[in-house]
Order: sequence, then structure tokens, then C-alpha cells
Amino acid sequence: MLMWTKVIIIAAAVTVLIIAASLAYFRYFTKTRLLVSTTTSLYETGLLNATERAFEAKYSIDLGFLPVGTGQAIQQAQGGNVDALLVHSPSNETQFLQEGDGVCRKIIAYNFFTIVGPRSDPAGINGMDAMGAFKKIVDYGRNHTGRMWVSRGDSSGTHTKEKSLWAKAGYSYTQISMESWYASAGSGMSATLNMANEFGSYTLSDIGTYLKLSKDGTISLVAFITETKELLNVYSVIAVNQTRHPNVNFTNAITFIKFLISDECQQLIDNYGKSEYGQSLFRSAVQLLMQNSTSQIVQWIKDYAFINGTECPSEYRDNRYPELYN
Amino acid sequence: MSFAAELRNVTKNFDGITALDGVNLKIQAGEIMALLGPNGSGKTTLLKILAFIEKPSKGEVHFLGEKVTEKNFENMRMESTMVFQKTILFSTTVYNNVAYGLGMRKTSKNRIDEEVSKVLRLVKLDGFEKRNAKKLSGGEQQRVALARALTLNTKLLLLDEPTANLDPKTASIVEEVIATTNRELKTTIVMATHNMFQAKNLPHRIALIKDGKIGEVGPPTETFRNLSKTLASFAALENTFNGTAKVTENGITSVDIGNGLQIETTLQQSGTVSVFVSPEDIILSKNRFDSSARNIYKGKIIEISDLGSLVRLKVDVGKPFAVQITKRSFNEMALNLNTEVFLTFKASSVQII
Amino acid sequence: MEILDGLIKALQLIFSGDPRILEITLRSLFVSGSATVIAALWGIPIATILGLKNFRGRFLVKTIFNSLIGIPTVALGFFLFLIFSREKGPLGFLGLLYTPTAIIIGEAILVAPIIVSLAASAIEAVDPEIANLAKTLGASEAQASFAVLREALDGIFLAGIASFNRAIGELGVAVFVGGFIAGVTELLTTGIKLEIDSNNIDVAIALAIILLTLVFGINLALNLIQRRKK
Repeated sequence: MLMWTKVIIIAAAVTVLIIAASLAYFRYFTKTRLLVSTTTSLYETGLLNATERAFEAKYSIDLGFLPVGTGQAIQQAQGGNVDALLVHSPSNETQFLQEGDGVCRKIIAYNFFTIVGPRSDPAGINGMDAMGAFKKIVDYGRNHTGRMWVSRGDSSGTHTKEKSLWAKAGYSYTQISMESWYASAGSGMSATLNMANEFGSYTLSDIGTYLKLSKDGTISLVAFITETKELLNVYSVIAVNQTRHPNVNFTNAITFIKFLISDECQQLIDNYGKSEYGQSLFRSAVQLLMQNSTSQIVQWIKDYAFINGTECPSEYRDNRYPELYN
Repeated sequence: MSFAAELRNVTKNFDGITALDGVNLKIQAGEIMALLGPNGSGKTTLLKILAFIEKPSKGEVHFLGEKVTEKNFENMRMESTMVFQKTILFSTTVYNNVAYGLGMRKTSKNRIDEEVSKVLRLVKLDGFEKRNAKKLSGGEQQRVALARALTLNTKLLLLDEPTANLDPKTASIVEEVIATTNRELKTTIVMATHNMFQAKNLPHRIALIKDGKIGEVGPPTETFRNLSKTLASFAALENTFNGTAKVTENGITSVDIGNGLQIETTLQQSGTVSVFVSPEDIILSKNRFDSSARNIYKGKIIEISDLGSLVRLKVDVGKPFAVQITKRSFNEMALNLNTEVFLTFKASSVQII
Repeated sequence: MEILDGLIKALQLIFSGDPRILEITLRSLFVSGSATVIAALWGIPIATILGLKNFRGRFLVKTIFNSLIGIPTVALGFFLFLIFSREKGPLGFLGLLYTPTAIIIGEAILVAPIIVSLAASAIEAVDPEIANLAKTLGASEAQASFAVLREALDGIFLAGIASFNRAIGELGVAVFVGGFIAGVTELLTTGIKLEIDSNNIDVAIALAIILLTLVFGINLALNLIQRRKK
């Protein structure tokens, strides 16, 4: 059996060699790492790529995004597999902070969701407000055959928003989602929009993805309702709590947050997509909130995305970085 | 005289079958011993045990004066080699095949080159070094296998039916090589054979084997005389049959070999005899034809072996006869298994052994 | 029209040597290549035992490996994700999650059954007397096994290629243990998915073309080599 001993030794040695070499290369040549889990809609618009380039030009940190959808993103953060969270679901974010997994939340940007649908507008929602539009879509769907609504159907921020809108309009989500006119895509935003385009149905989309696909000519849906209070979409960043998850890259996460709220990045956010799509896909939020004006949009953001009257309650702040909150 | 190898009470079992049963055999150094026996008698197993690629289930093997144990088992292989009945070659060149064993013995490259060309010349395959071994004809392949074994110059050489599938020309080259190797290098050779001429002319001694047991052992002439019956009943040799001879008129002896077959021979003998007809003396035809030959039998082809330019057939005329015809004749006559044919041979071709 | 458009843009991307596409391709080759090598290092010895030795339970072991060939990549990927999870997984402390290394390990596990099964078959198909032949020419057990392996080399080679194809074309493992972090763990397959999600059809098509070309090209080259040998 001496030969078999030799064989096992060789196999084990080479395996360890390859693994160690690839790990070493990965760890050594890539500078310190920062992993941020985030939503697919942020990623699909390409904003994160732009942000990454700007960030890496300034800091020697290897920034990586894990675009898995809000629900998954939060789970990854809870498992300590990522260093920071960049999502758009205030209710879930609140729970995340309350369970002690995150600190230092900062609201960095906002835009609006939009209810889009076929040009012919069979349900006649044009000109209505969000709630009215929903009621019309339900009525139309119940009285005609075919699919009238496509939902994300995953646990994304967009899906969470959709569910809250149904509730606000007075419908039971569990019941409605079973009805024959209601389709569930179970996919990312692009796929969902494509599906709605195919079916000639309505759907809820973030403005960024919608504009991108519309400009590319992929879809011919029209954005009927947007920029209302109910359709507000707020993006926040949260660092994973180092006390609870000691292995995360906390200092780099803070650096990332600081970058996001910096003037440079906020300007990048404001300008993103302007030339290509004729309008920005995202609006910066930091300056707006700092000035604390009485404008309508600030009020809306406070109502929707603040927790106990602030973007980050003091018990979830890290005292070492007071400069994050003025 | 010292013994090259000795089997003491060797028994070998496989999956409930006893291949060898209490075999005692002494092989003298420098002799050629022929093993004669029917198929399934244990010849191949015995050779494999002597080649040290099988271990006995019971009993002892002694080799070159030493007892073979677990410890020295693999080392013994270096001084004993076997050529299998069905030729096996490595998927590579003739050179690499022949050189394989030399490589195992850590021979230098120059020396290997020398030895390979020497042995290829011996088996009349000069210049075949670079050829793809698997693409050669049957006869050439067998010679490569033989060369591969010979080049190792082991003390013991084991051959399992070395010329069974060869055309006569190649067969005689091989027999020549066997004789030369034994004579000049004093290699001890044990060979299993079915061939009458080989059994008579090549070996110093013959050992009969049946059902895993060794019967008579002795020099060919003695053995043949004493045991012609046994040999025939063994079906140990081709075209050899037992029968009762009766002298009839005109100097012809008629031998009843059973199943209604009466062989006519010019030799005078009576009583129990063993007769033999060489395959080359038998004429095969599809129709009965008139001739001076006294032995004409009808039968069916039961076996066909392609030897390249020749085809060897077994025809059952009541007893199986081995016959040889040219490939051309085979194709012209459009022969197949179960084709009905006629065998014709002269009374003077029949030998009594 | 969009597909044709995408196709043209894709070819432009490929031939202009777009660095991102190059990086993704090289990483895919390295990851799947390493996985195949590791799987072969462990798989061929196992296949040799399965092919040569007749032991009790051999049939059972062969059947297990054969059925493992079809393991759904998402199942394996998810299972490995749980194991490598930084805090809850038993191997989390290794910090392998979301690294190319994790993908290498995952894909190696994925293709190992392929190598074992195919190589074992190739070895079984070798004339059993080859081992005896080698021994009678002076080989030890080990050397005789090598002789058998050498005769089965064609089949073993094929096993390696089949494994590489499976590794480079799989998605489930790469997604779960690699994430598809751009510039870090993005592979051809996850890249295609990501780009389609982001509606960058031209990049997706480019990656798909490369993947198909690689797989087809490698197979073609190998078949040619085999033919020339015969």
C-alpha cells in the first residue's frame, strides 16, 4: 500500500497548493476588501459600477457588490457575510437595526417608483393617484381575461413597496396575489418589465430601471404615475455591526459610508444618467436632509424613511464617528 | 541436475472451481517441458503460477532453489516470464512493447536499443521498431510478444500455445526460436501445446495434465508409446484419435475410431491404437470427388480461424478434424459455419502413434 | 433585430479585447481548470481502485458515483454556501465565501463524480490481462496499475474534458459560493446572468459566444488529436 500513500500525499499536496495559491493571490493582490450586499435595481442601472470606479480611484480598497435583492441582501448581512448593506426598504432596515445587526444608517439617495403600463391604458389609470390607479387595475383585471399586473414576486424592496401599496389601497395581498389577472415574475426588475411588456400588463418599477429599458427600446410601456408620496423610494446604507459580527471590515464600511455622503459622490448620483436618459435616475438626499427645509420632499422622506424621527436613532450609531451625523 | 522450479502439492481454487488439484511437478534446469492436456485442464493456471502472477491456494512453489513466499514473490517475477495464448500488446510502438520489461529492470537506453534490435532480428521482425504494434498481422503480433519475453533472458520461459493461431511459416520461425533459445541460452522452457509435431520434436519431456491433475511425465517417445491412448482420449492433440485396428485385405488396416468412422491406413497394426492425420494432408471440398484416396468423410464446419493467408477449420465428421486451406480457396468456396463439406485423405497419410 | 444588433456589438467587444471580458474569461478558465485538476488528482486514483479491484460493495460505490454525476448545481451550491457561511457555517472561519477559491472547491466537488465514473469505465474496458502482462514482464503491483492506466489514457482524457466542460458551464455553484461580484468572482456563466439581468444584451451575448467557443473549441481540438493518434 505504499504506492497509495504516495498517491494520496501527491493529491493532497497539489490540492492544498492550488487552494492556497488562489487564496493568497486573491487576498494579497487585491487590496483590502469591502463587500456590500445590495439590491438588484441599484445594480442593474449601472449606478453601482460608476460608484465603484469613483471609490476605487480614491481609496485602495477593493469594493465589491453582491447584487442579490433586498431580502437576500439583508440575510447576508445578518450572517456576517458582507460588510455593509445598501437597500431601499425602510421597514426591513428598521428591523435590521432593531435586531442589532447594523449601525450607522445614512440615507443617501431617493427617487420614485412608477406605475407603468401599456400605451393603450386599458384600465384607464392615466391621471389618477396611486391608490385610484390600483383600484382601477383590480377592477379591470377582475372583469377581463388575461394578466393585468406583473409583480416582482421576490423579497425585493420593490416588492415590499408593492405589498404596502396594496395594503394601503385596502386589499389583502394574499388574496389578490392569487387572482388570475395577477402574475408573479419571481425575477429582477428587467425581467419583470420585459414580462409586463409581453403581457401588456401594468407593473411597479423603480424609475431607473424603467428609463434604462425604455431608452434601449426594449419595452414600450409608459410611466403613468410617479412622483407621488406613496411612490417614494429611499436608498440607505448601513454598516454591519462589528460588535455582533467581529469579522467584518468595519473601518472600510465606514469609509464607504463617508464616501457615499461626500459631495463628490452625491454629485455623481445626481448626474447619473442625465445625458443618456434626459433625466437623472437618482437624486441625492444628504444635502437635502442636512438643510432640513420644510419642502414637501423632505417631509415625505421623513414620514416614510425616518425611524423615531431620525435617519438613525442614537442607539444605533457608533460613537467613534459623530461626524456622520450633524 | 538441479531443478529450475518445483511445484509441491499445489492446489488452486477460483470461485469454487478447482483449477489445480495437488500438483507435484519438478522442472529441470535447461529442459523444454511440454504440457499436454485438453482445454480447461489447468495448463494456463499452472503456467501463471510458474510466472508468479498467480499464487497457489495451497502448497508450495520452489524456484531456483528458494521457497517462494509473500516477501520474494514480486522479485521472482524478474527471472520468469510468460507469453500468453491470446496475444496482448500495449497500445504503442513495437519498440516500446519489447522494451517494457527492460525498462522495468532499469536498463540503460543504449543497452535497450541494442537488445531490442537484436531480439527483433531473432524473430525476423527487423526494422519494425517504430510500427504501431496493434496494427500488425496476427503472426507479427505474436512474434512481438515472443520477442518481448525473450529479450528479458529470464531463467524460466513459459509459453501458452505459442503457435496455436499461426500460419505454418510463422509457426516454424517460432519453433526455431524456441529451440535456439533453449539450446544457446540454456533457458528452461515450459510450453502448453496441442500440436503433435511440437509435442514430439521440441521438448525433452512431456507432462500430461487433466482436470487439474498431473498424469504421466516423461520423454516424448516413451510417453507417446505408453500413452497414445491417453493422449488421444485427452483430445490433447489435434487430429489424434483412439481406435481398434483390424488388418483387412490388400495391405490396408481399418481403424474404428468410433461414431461410425473407419480410418484406412497403409500401416500394419492390430488392436488398440492411436492414429494421427496431419491437417496439411487433408483435402477439403464441397462436393464428393473421385480419387485414389481411401478416406472420404462428410461433415459440417464447426470452427473457423483466420491465420492471414491461411484459414484453419475444424470439421465434424463424427469426430473433429483440423484442416487448413488457403484464404483464397476459403473465399472461392464461400465457406461458413455449418457448411457441409467433404474431407479426403490418403491411407498413407495416416500415422499410428 | 435586437439579437442581431447585440451579436454585432458582442463581436466588436470580443475582438477589441475588452478588458472586462478578457478578465472574466481568464478567471473562468483558471477556476474551472483548477477544479478539474483537483478533481482528477483525487478522482483518478479512486477510479483506478474501482476499475481494477473487485471488492465487496464495489457495485454500490459505482452506483453512488454514477448518480452523483447529475447532482443539481443549485443544490450543491446552496449546501456549500451554508458550510462556508462566515459565522454560521462550520468552515466559515476559513473566509472562503465569495472568493474564487470557494468556486474552485465547489466545482471540483461537482465534477469529481464525472471523472471517477468515466475514468473507471475506461479502466474497466482495458483488457484485464494487461495487468498480468505487465507483471510477468517484471512490473510490481503499482507499475502494473500504471500500465493499465496508460492503456486507458484516451478514456481518462475524455473524462477530464467532460469534467472541464461541466465546470466551466455551470451556474449554481458559482452563484451561491462565489456571488457574482464584478471584478472578483465573476465568471462567464454568472456574468451572462448578471448582464442579462442588467439588460446589457451585447455583453451577455459576447460572454455566451466565448463560452460556447471555448467548449466547442476544446472538444474539437481533442477529437482531432485523438484522430491523429489512431
